[in-house]
Amino acid sequence: MNDFSELENELRKLRPTQPSSVLFERVGEALKDRRVSAVVDARSSWWRFKEATQNWWSLGFGVAAAAVLILFAVVTMERRHEQQETVAQASTASETRPAPLEAERSTSPSGFVPAGGTNVVYNTRDEGLHFARGSERPLRRVRYNTQQTWRWRNPETGASLRVSYPSEEVVLIPVSGQ
Amino acid sequence: MEPIASHENWRTCFSEVAPGLLLFARQWVQSAADAEDIVQDAFVKFWRRNHDIGNRGLLYSAVRSLALDFIRRDARRAQREATALAEADPAIEPHFELENDTQSALAAAMESLPRDQREVLVLKIWNDLTFGEIAAALGISQNTAASRYRYALTNLKKTLQPQ
Repeated sequence: MNDFSELENELRKLRPTQPSSVLFERVGEALKDRRVSAVVDARSSWWRFKEATQNWWSLGFGVAAAAVLILFAVVTMERRHEQQETVAQASTASETRPAPLEAERSTSPSGFVPAGGTNVVYNTRDEGLHFARGSERPLRRVRYNTQQTWRWRNPETGASLRVSYPSEEVVLIPVSGQ
Repeated sequence: MEPIASHENWRTCFSEVAPGLLLFARQWVQSAADAEDIVQDAFVKFWRRNHDIGNRGLLYSAVRSLALDFIRRDARRAQREATALAEADPAIEPHFELENDTQSALAAAMESLPRDQREVLVLKIWNDLTFGEIAAALGISQNTAASRYRYALTNLKKTLQPQ
């Protein structure tokens, strides 16, 4: 027996105040509510499953429709670009030259293969005759402003890549003295 | 002790633990009504999850956690009420059903203990928890729980000794 046994006995004689009867009713109500809600939950689980399934179907259809729309938009834009290139090529103020073969042959490790390239000359300026250093033969200097566009396509995924940039080219053309 | 989940009548179980739980809750909240709210929430959660009464530490831990949440959530009101109740006659909302002056002196001495000692005392004396269960409920070691208990009794003894 320790030194505190008498004190502990005295403390145990102290009786904590009893909870109010209202507390018992409140706890009972709270537990009853839970039981009722559990039954309702069980009954509604089938409907929730049905709703969830319907929602998944709706979501699936929505995603499929969106994918179709995006594909349609991509194809339309591709066609539009091709038409624009054709128009640009047909322009009287411009000159189109074939793209270099090196660019066409280049392949990408990601599976893209060259699908075409254009070099649209939208401005040509004749800068007159020039004589190259140490040469008596005149050269006509022509400056071309061009817009080069290269396209790659992944045959497996159908994805396409387009790179377009402006360029300037100076060409010296020998002039014959006839 | 019988598993709490096997009690078909929750009232039997609740009537056993409620007075001790209320006393424990009132270590943080002075108002008996607030303590009852906390005990109700803790017990209902405990019962719904079918916890084992053998794991009583969890029930007391829930009460403590809810009481601390209450204090944090409504700190100003809790402080105001604590001040008002401290100034008021302790007989208005007593923690114990006092029968004589000795018990009143004992209850008053207990109120003067530091909170960490008092909560261990409440769990040990009026809730019959082991030091292991007390340690689980308060998140302390068994040795700490045991030493706090000894300090509490020592302090009580000192307070109650005739000058």
